[in-house]
Amino acid sequence: MQNDNTLIQNLKNKDERALALLYDKYSGAIYSVILKTIRDEGKAQNILQDTFITVWEKAQSYDESKGRFYTWAYRIAKNKTLNVLRKSNPLIQTDDFSVYKNKEDAISIDPEYLELNGAVTTLEQHHKEAIELVYFKGLTHREAHKEMNVPLGTFKSYIRQALKQLRETYAKTLSLMLLILNAL
Amino acid sequence: MMMDKKSLLENGLLEQYLLGELNANQCEQIEQLLLFDNELKIHCDQLEEDFENIGLENAITPPSVIKSQLLDRIKILHTDAPKVIALNTKNNIKIYLGIAASLTALFMVGGFWMYSQLNEVKQQLQTVETYNDELNTTIEALNTELERTNTFYTGIVSPDTEQYILKGNASLPEAKVVSYVNHKSKSVVINTERLPELDADHDYQMWADVKGDMIDMGVISKDKTIMNMAYIDYAESLNITIEPAGGNDHPTVERLVTNVYLR
Repeated sequence: MQNDNTLIQNLKNKDERALALLYDKYSGAIYSVILKTIRDEGKAQNILQDTFITVWEKAQSYDESKGRFYTWAYRIAKNKTLNVLRKSNPLIQTDDFSVYKNKEDAISIDPEYLELNGAVTTLEQHHKEAIELVYFKGLTHREAHKEMNVPLGTFKSYIRQALKQLRETYAKTLSLMLLILNAL
Repeated sequence: MMMDKKSLLENGLLEQYLLGELNANQCEQIEQLLLFDNELKIHCDQLEEDFENIGLENAITPPSVIKSQLLDRIKILHTDAPKVIALNTKNNIKIYLGIAASLTALFMVGGFWMYSQLNEVKQQLQTVETYNDELNTTIEALNTELERTNTFYTGIVSPDTEQYILKGNASLPEAKVVSYVNHKSKSVVINTERLPELDADHDYQMWADVKGDMIDMGVISKDKTIMNMAYIDYAESLNITIEPAGGNDHPTVERLVTNVYLR
C-alpha cells in the first residue's frame, strides 16, 4: 500500500484514485466521529461525503509538515458536523451544551454505533468519558468539563492521563507486533 | 495568551490544538513552537498518532454507496471545477468574441465585396441596357428598312408592275433611272443608283406629263437609291429635271435630263 505522503501528493494533483484510497483508509474513523456526534445516520453520511469533497477541493491548502492527514480531515469533519448541529437548532448558542442533550432524545441510530472500541475501552470510566466527550462528541474542553461536572483543570488532567495510558497501550501493542514480526 | 512549552503541556493546549478547538491565532503560535522545539514536536506527533489510533479503532464502515456518490461528485467537480469554470468561461468568451469578430470581419469584407460587385453589375447592366437600346433602335431601323424594302420588293415583283427605264439624254448620257409603275396599286418606285450626283444647290425632280401639264411627282432624295414617288393618274410620261435644291413648282424644261413614255 502506498504511504500517505505519496497519496496526498497525488491528491493535490487531483488524482481521483488517491482520494479513493484515502477514503478507504480513513472514512471509517471519520464517519464514526461524525456519527457519534450527530447521532443521525443520514446526516452523518452527508457530512462524511461533504468532508471528503472539501478534502478534494482544499487539498492544496493541507500542509503535511503541520500534521497528519487524519488530523486535518478530522477537524474538517468536526467543523462540518458542529455547523449542521447549530443550523438544525439555531436558537442554541455555540457553547450551550443543550444542543447535544436534545439530540440524545431523538436519535436515529443503531446504539451499537455509539459504543467505543479498542484501547479506549481499557481506560477507567471517567477517563474514557472525557475522551469520548472531546473526541467523539465534538465538545470543547470547556463544554466537556461542565458536562462531567468537574473543574476544567481536573478535566484536563483526565484527558492527559487517559492519553498517557493509551500511549502505553499502543506502545505495548506495537512492541508486541514487532515481537511477533521478529518471531515470524 | 502567552504560550510556552510548559503551558502547552500542562494546559492540554496541544490536545485542544489537535482536536481543532483552538482559533487560528492560537494554532499559529503552537505551530511556531512546534517548529523550533523538537521534543515538543515528537510529543505532539505521538499524541496525533494516538488520536488517529483511537479513531481507526473505533471506525464504523460507512455504506459503500457513499463512496461511489463521492467519486461521482468528484468527477463532476473535476471536470468543471470552479476555477476551471472561470477560466473556461473566459476562454469561451474569448473564443466567442473571436468568432464574432471573425464573422463581423468576414461580413464586412463580404459586404464590401458584394457592394463593389453590385456596383460593377449595375454598371454592366447599364452598358447592357444602352447596348440593348442601340440594338432595339437598330432592329427598329432594320424593321422599317425591311418593311420599306418589302414594300418596294412586293411592288416591283408584282405582275401588275411595269418597268420603265429612263435613259439620260445628251446633257446627261450616263444617267439611268429604273422606274416601276403599278397602275393597280397606284405606286411608283424608282432606282436612282445610276443618277450622277449633283451639287448641294441642286436636286433632281420628277414630273408626270398629264395632257401637256407637268405634275410634280416629288424631289429625288440624294441619300436614297430606291424610293417611292407620287403616282399621278393619267400620266403619259415620266420626266426628270435638275432644279434648285428643294424642288421647283414648275419644271425647268431646259434642264430635262431624261424621260420615258408610259404605255
